[in-house]
Amino acid sequence: MLYRRAGIRHTSYRHERMLWPLPFDRYLVGTIAAFLIVAPFLIDRLYLVAYLLPWLIWSMAALGLNLLMGGAGQIHLGYGAVMAIGAYSSVHLVRAGVPFEIAMIAGGLASAMIGVIFGFAALRVKTLYLAMSTLAMQYIVDFVIAHVPAISGGTQATIQVPPVRFLGLRIEGDIATYYFALAVCTVVTLFMLNVHRTGFGRALAAVREKDYAAEVIGVSTFKYKLLAFWTSSFIGGVVGAVLVVCYLRSVSPDQFHIDLSVQIVAMVIVGGLGSVLGSFFGAALILFTPIVLNNLVASIAAGAGLSLSSDLRAHIPLMLYGALIVGFLVLEPLGLAKIYDNVRNYFLVWPFRYARK
Amino acid sequence: MNVDRRTFIASTAATMLTGTTVTTWAQDRIVKIGMPMDFTRVYTFVTAEYAQGHRDYLTLINDRGGAGGYKILADITDHGNDIPRAIEAYERMKREGAVLIDPLSTPVARALVPRALEDKINMVTTLSGRSDAADGEAFPYVMPLSPNYWTQAGLLIDYFRQQDKDLRGKKIVLVHIDTPFGKEPIPIFQALAGKLGYSLQTFPYAPPGNDQAAIWPQVRRAQPDWIIFWGAGVGQTVALSEAVRNGLKMDRISSSVWLSESDMDVVGKDACKGVIKFEAAAGGRDPKVIQQILSEVVGKGKGAGQEAKVGTSYYNIGVMMAAIAAEGVRKAAEKAPNGPVTGPWLNAGIRSISDFTAEGMLPGITVTSQDHQGGGKGRIARWDGAKFAPQTDWFTANQDLVWSEIKKYSEEFKKSGK
Amino acid sequence: MDLWLIGELAITGALVGLMYALVAVGIVLVYKTSSVANFAQGAIAMTGSYVAWAFATLMGAPLWVAIPLALVTMFGLGFVIERAVLRHMVGQPIIMIIMVTFGMEIFLRGMMPGFFGVAVKRLDLGIPQAPMFLGEMLINRAYLIGGITSAVLIVGTIVLFNSRAGIIMRAVSDDQGASWSVGIRVERAIAIAWGLAAGTATAAGILWGSTQGVDWSLSLLLMKALAIAILGGLDSIPGVLLAGVIVGVCESLATGIVDPLVGGGTRDIVASLIILMTLLVRPYGLFGREQIERV
Repeated sequence: MLYRRAGIRHTSYRHERMLWPLPFDRYLVGTIAAFLIVAPFLIDRLYLVAYLLPWLIWSMAALGLNLLMGGAGQIHLGYGAVMAIGAYSSVHLVRAGVPFEIAMIAGGLASAMIGVIFGFAALRVKTLYLAMSTLAMQYIVDFVIAHVPAISGGTQATIQVPPVRFLGLRIEGDIATYYFALAVCTVVTLFMLNVHRTGFGRALAAVREKDYAAEVIGVSTFKYKLLAFWTSSFIGGVVGAVLVVCYLRSVSPDQFHIDLSVQIVAMVIVGGLGSVLGSFFGAALILFTPIVLNNLVASIAAGAGLSLSSDLRAHIPLMLYGALIVGFLVLEPLGLAKIYDNVRNYFLVWPFRYARK
Repeated sequence: MNVDRRTFIASTAATMLTGTTVTTWAQDRIVKIGMPMDFTRVYTFVTAEYAQGHRDYLTLINDRGGAGGYKILADITDHGNDIPRAIEAYERMKREGAVLIDPLSTPVARALVPRALEDKINMVTTLSGRSDAADGEAFPYVMPLSPNYWTQAGLLIDYFRQQDKDLRGKKIVLVHIDTPFGKEPIPIFQALAGKLGYSLQTFPYAPPGNDQAAIWPQVRRAQPDWIIFWGAGVGQTVALSEAVRNGLKMDRISSSVWLSESDMDVVGKDACKGVIKFEAAAGGRDPKVIQQILSEVVGKGKGAGQEAKVGTSYYNIGVMMAAIAAEGVRKAAEKAPNGPVTGPWLNAGIRSISDFTAEGMLPGITVTSQDHQGGGKGRIARWDGAKFAPQTDWFTANQDLVWSEIKKYSEEFKKSGK
Repeated sequence: MDLWLIGELAITGALVGLMYALVAVGIVLVYKTSSVANFAQGAIAMTGSYVAWAFATLMGAPLWVAIPLALVTMFGLGFVIERAVLRHMVGQPIIMIIMVTFGMEIFLRGMMPGFFGVAVKRLDLGIPQAPMFLGEMLINRAYLIGGITSAVLIVGTIVLFNSRAGIIMRAVSDDQGASWSVGIRVERAIAIAWGLAAGTATAAGILWGSTQGVDWSLSLLLMKALAIAILGGLDSIPGVLLAGVIVGVCESLATGIVDPLVGGGTRDIVASLIILMTLLVRPYGLFGREQIERV
């Protein structure tokens, strides 16, 4: 009833390749987009700054990693380091006077170049061993950033981000930063939605499935694996720059440790490998769960008058968070995107449930 | 229990939706302070006892009618040293009307500095955070209210000088964790080495410091006259154990403020007799305030944690910071008794604290609009096998050197907002 | 260069490396039998030491009762983890399984300090602190006993692998399908491997807990253990022994010799560099047998 499928006829190949052929899907996407655009005027400032903005930024990071993990099938446990490189390069460039538009792209390029070096490990080993080598590289980049004062900013080791202008508009305060992050997120999402329809995306899919078979049919695994790392790291670098300018407003090495890498990998996997929507869902779940659980446990403890030791109260959200990750992976390995898919399939034929195959 | 897919997902969704609740508070004369702290990640060694001391003191004050007629309510949550969670907690507490934030975490404090300055909310950075925030003119709303690491370093060297009469030609070794926190006092140590004539050798160890087996043999070979170890949490216990195992003399070894009774317990109470540390607030159960807490709060079952922890070093630091905050509220109420409770209102109050000792527990804390450190006084205490016994009176030293460092960095901040 | 210093650093490093190797044995055991990389091994070591502390301090049991009790309890926990969590993940891509173990690590890291308190705890094995000198070199008594214990346990594991149960596990690690067909109970072998891994992790946790105190940072043993497991070969237990010594010595010497030149902190990246170089030069490690699919 909701998802009317009758009467949709394609009259050209282009029309057939639409992202959202069903009108309900299009209305849904349109509503969400409209909501995001007017959000600063609709919702409370707390939710804008503390929930929406980080969600947009972390979703972008998850999208970038999804290109590599879901699209090309490589494992990357060092995405935090990639974002760090982008963040640091762009901040240093902005402080040196380079306009932010160029600094952001330059940050992305710096990450891409170093990310490709990570990618060379992918040319030698696979799966678990690739995970280990990217993990090792994360630690090495951490070490280099922390120990080279020119990069990390000396003993204080925190560099404040100076006020920036993008295309003439000041990116300061809540609303401007939100719109900037929204704009970059839209670009990245559009890229990810369309990448699997391009030759590049199809080559990555071939490499993901069986790389020697891809080699046999003429898809150069060498070139495409490195390209996957390059693109994904470029996105990561740009996201790192946006992260520090819009959200953190200062950059220090301990924001980009292994925890961030594991967090983004968790977002991608829990959301669903290879799915754009899944990256958004996964980012929301991983980002908000500790906060929500914290508030929940606090209000339960206060409301029900339970006197838990403060240690236990602080650690219950952590326990539940770990249990949640394990639970989702065990019960729904294809991720939140699959759950959305199931719900959508249910409503696709509702109320005529017998029509579902 | 057979948890199938549907039940799991449905129950998760239900819990998520009920998750964000906002507790409401009574509306009479109340000052709200927000304390998002790190209970679960890096600062675990100090946060629980600090929060307990803070809570107990506030219970004491509130039961007596509040400070200057205002009750102080603290909202204590966990941010796990994660910046997004910390920012969410900060924004939420701001929305609920908090006028003071105490993050007890250096990375979080650094991340929140621009927001606190913009929103005019007082941010207390106890013994952590930005050392240059002691400059009240550059950071009007960031208040360390406690001796920063540069001051601690200066005081330690001065104590050594008092013990040895003359440090010329002596060897001082600094074993520190290889993070910005560990490297922070090095400029002061080096400047004082030039001034006083000792030689400084530094040995960094990789964080978190649970493996220092390769460091201490080198320290032993260097045959130093004084050893300072600068770490936190597990790095401290391992450092001391290694020192003991290497046969180094305990009474020539000193730490920063981050050493507590539970660390001594782990290393062995008798094995580390003689170790020195910096004290910012009187330790143990002797101070009058602690006695009052024991009788009025813990004795009546309103304590916020285990009774055994009352009087430990970090508990007393929590009490110290709560006392300073309460004194700030009292002064603010003196100046503007009905003034709307806002950040600037409390800021004026804190900045007028003068020679506050919390009935003998603290050195006289004086906060001015230039000096947010509170005077930079501390004292040295030595472990005697059962407790930390103070060795000196409250004193301050080398503040000229410390303030030139502070000004150096705060000038840069003022100039460029960095 | 001061030869005595190098000698001392080398010996201490070897002993510490052996203590790390004890954690790595668990990783190798699990990988051998079920091809799962257990990123929760550090957290299991931490859990083991908390459990031992609980038996020794909270319940007041003497050490010679508390430690075996802890080992048995953790053996059971290994069984439970394998049955409750890993059984459902059979056949999933490796990254999912890695993520599950990360989730378990977070869960354990929340549960243990939550229930037992966050303050650092003392786990006293009764090893005297007095220094022991060999010439001019100081031998750290705690590390000596820790290193020897680890070596004994690792050799014990190797011997175990030559017994009947060990042969069963070797068969399972070679080819699960073939083991099925000759009547070997594959699930039980895997569960036993997990139990043994948890047991060795507990032993390592107890040893480390006695030197540094029991708290959440014990779960950071993982990174070093991974480096040792990869250097030695993810499916070779004797390799763990040699790799542990190599990693320990390299780290120690790096701290002693390179640190003054570079300005500190090289210890951490020694492990990372070892992993990288092993993977790029000889991915199956020093003694690994399995041919890693090379691109």
